[in-house]
Amino acid sequence: MAVLDIRDVSKTFGSVHAVQRFNLTVADGELVCLLGPSGSGKSTLLRMIGGFETASGGQITIDGEHVTRIPPEKRPTGMVFQSHALWTHMNVFRNLAFGLKLRRLPRDEIRRRVEAVLDQVGLAGYGQRMTHQLSGGQQQRVALARSLVLEPKILLLDEPFASLDQHLRERLREEVRDLQQRLGITTLFVTHGQDEALALADRIVVMRDGRTEQIDPPDMVYRAPATPFVAGFIGSMNLIDGAVQNGAFHHAGFTLAVPVADGPAILAVRPEALDIVQASAAGAAHVHRVTDFGAHAIVDIELGDGVRLKSQVPDARLWKAGMAIDLQPRAFAVYRDDVAIHRADRA
Amino acid sequence: MPASDIVGRARGRVPTGLLLVAPPVALVCWMIIWPIFSAIARTLWLPDPEGGRQLSVATYTFFFTDSYSLNNLAITLWTTGVCAAFLLPICLSIALYLRFADGKLAAYVQGLAIFPMFVPSIILSYALIRVLGPNGTVDLLLNSVGLPKINTPYLTPWGPVIGLVWDNIPITVLILLSGLGAVSDQSIEAARDVGANRRSVFWHIILPRITNSILVAISFTVLGIFSAFTLPYVLGPAAPEMMGPFMQRTFRDLNDPTTAITQAVITFCFCIAFGIFYVRSVAKNRKA
Amino acid sequence: MDRPRTDWTGIAFATALTLLIVFPLLVVATWAFTNVWRYPSVIPQEFGLRYWHAVLGRADVWTSITTSLTLATVVTLISAAICLPAAYAFARLEFPGRNILFFSFLAGHAFPKFGLLVAIAGIFLNLGLIGTFWGVVLIQLVGTLLFMIWIPVAAFQSVDRRMEESARDVGASPLRVFWSITLPQAGPTIAAALLLSFVGTFYETEGAWLIGAPQVRTLPVLMISFINNQPVIQFGAVLSVLLWVPSFIALLFARRVIGSGSFARGFGG
Repeated sequence: MAVLDIRDVSKTFGSVHAVQRFNLTVADGELVCLLGPSGSGKSTLLRMIGGFETASGGQITIDGEHVTRIPPEKRPTGMVFQSHALWTHMNVFRNLAFGLKLRRLPRDEIRRRVEAVLDQVGLAGYGQRMTHQLSGGQQQRVALARSLVLEPKILLLDEPFASLDQHLRERLREEVRDLQQRLGITTLFVTHGQDEALALADRIVVMRDGRTEQIDPPDMVYRAPATPFVAGFIGSMNLIDGAVQNGAFHHAGFTLAVPVADGPAILAVRPEALDIVQASAAGAAHVHRVTDFGAHAIVDIELGDGVRLKSQVPDARLWKAGMAIDLQPRAFAVYRDDVAIHRADRA
Repeated sequence: MPASDIVGRARGRVPTGLLLVAPPVALVCWMIIWPIFSAIARTLWLPDPEGGRQLSVATYTFFFTDSYSLNNLAITLWTTGVCAAFLLPICLSIALYLRFADGKLAAYVQGLAIFPMFVPSIILSYALIRVLGPNGTVDLLLNSVGLPKINTPYLTPWGPVIGLVWDNIPITVLILLSGLGAVSDQSIEAARDVGANRRSVFWHIILPRITNSILVAISFTVLGIFSAFTLPYVLGPAAPEMMGPFMQRTFRDLNDPTTAITQAVITFCFCIAFGIFYVRSVAKNRKA
Repeated sequence: MDRPRTDWTGIAFATALTLLIVFPLLVVATWAFTNVWRYPSVIPQEFGLRYWHAVLGRADVWTSITTSLTLATVVTLISAAICLPAAYAFARLEFPGRNILFFSFLAGHAFPKFGLLVAIAGIFLNLGLIGTFWGVVLIQLVGTLLFMIWIPVAAFQSVDRRMEESARDVGASPLRVFWSITLPQAGPTIAAALLLSFVGTFYETEGAWLIGAPQVRTLPVLMISFINNQPVIQFGAVLSVLLWVPSFIALLFARRVIGSGSFARGFGG
């Protein structure tokens, strides 16, 4: 039963603001993903929660208890590191038992708990192996087990699967999700992979330059990105810089009626929501290239001024390079000053 | 198989590579391998009265029964032990500090710790005499505040100890630092995460990982001190003297090469385990 | 905002090391520029360059400087001539026994150096090389082998093979590739190794003393006799500054090129 609360937390390294007045409450048993490009401050934030960095300002509480200034060895958090950071001079059993030994638990109890956790991560019987005898996936499971065996209140994962190949990453991702739900452990997961975040999280925190861009469940982050940055970062997105005049968005011959005030604007349309039709006359754009993926096709579109867009179409054979076309966005959003001022979904 | 090799064989010639490496390898054989075997041979097959040579351990028996020689060996072993006892804690704490600190101050400390590497021991000897010798700078300073002079370590066994510790700090720090570099930040943080305090982290996580580096550092120190010449020659007492000056004196002043070479072979025997360990670690590092 | 904590450990180390390492050398430097410094004055009574004139006016000093410079130049040139081709072969060619020969250069380092010198001196005695210039050259040459091979090998290996291959591709001959691609790429590191060899030979005391003295007197050998027999303190101080400052600057340069990391790895850390 643990609630993590982060209030106004900042971190500066010299003149660099790594994290700026960050706020987040993670509910008991919730899995929250911190998602952002490298340098967005997500790892720094995680390390502040784990106690490896001291916050320059703000407060972190776990179950109402202030931990902001407590060193990592005294915090009820368990961290799984990107490089798994196993102690290579110890075997698997001793890696897991180390923390329990420091707590001076009886030998039998240690053995029982280590074996139980090894069983949970699917590594029963691997206790006597040395860490270098394990595969990458197994090593990462040991790292996870090493944190879990201490029954932490908060589990922190810092891009744990970054060094694994795609296939293994997906499998471990599911295992972690299952385990987390079974144990009901409050979890914070840092990743720069949107797939990972979308697949795992109860909620996603999108970060950029040390600030929060959006905190929402995965479907909301995908369907209603709060800012152009989120729109561009998650999934594939056409972002068109233009201006609204007299109720219509304009960009190089392309126009779209939008009910917003005049001024500069960014139009965001996902390729799957951008329909194209053959133009009767000159058309707003033309087909640049068609790439057939079998199940669907991607049409690269070139606007009058050379700006490229993508549209996902069901059948590649209908489109040829050079063809004049008109654009018909089905669902789109209009951003101004980093805020969505209009959303439309004609699905 | 690389082309050069195939060509070399096809023409029935020695591969170019071998020709190119032949001169330095020949030099190693002639100037290192051969002298070692020759040293062992000529101290074991001594000339006999009939003009031939016969197997004899006489020179070794002399060394191990001669109290002067034994004292010299003892002072060398003592110096080695004392130097190691000083070097390890000093250099380990410097290396630990450097491993976890960054910034200008740490860079300055690292620069200073490595600095003695660039000071020839002959200049170091001279500097230590000027500072710690009779009426040296330390005496000057003590005198100026009304304190008595120090018992100068110059020309006592402590003179070489101070010089050798000074001289060996850089390499010991570098070896330990390089060992500490293999301990990742994350594996230390993982240990702290499961509840280890600084002491447990050092004892259970860092120390087991740098044992090898510590042994390398000790080996290097042992080899260095057994072969030290300049510092003990200039700073140390006339008797007992360390093996370096002892060998030099036997060879040049007493003009007794056979005895000097016997002494050399004895230093080889005392260092062989350390030497092999050291060379093996260097070779292993180089391969990786 | 948190202020960075004062690094007391760092300050303690910095102070202690400054005192123990820089201070003795500063004392020597002070002595070198002192005309009169009588006990118990804490600072010299008279600064000046008097002893520089005295030292530089001595014939034995000039002979030693010439000997040391000639020796270092000869050793570095011979070492480069035999080691650089070998290093290239180790880095780029395959031949039988490549590995064992490569590591054979470590052989000398498994033994205490001075003992080895005595063993070599035993052989030189029979060859009449004791007390000769070429005897000293040989002994110094052996000392340079390990790093004159290992450092250039690392330098050659770090030159990307594809760079050489693309030069071949645009029509360069193997020799041309070596001259225009490999050598310039590996150049700075090799220059540093040459510098190390020069300075190392210039500094070296033990071998020169055992094999060369008293006929061949290099600067460090002269320094020993100054310490042992010269009552005028300043002579040694001036000679120290003379011997050390130029080589120190050269070494700093070499270290910057080679990097302290590989320095340590070279010593087996």
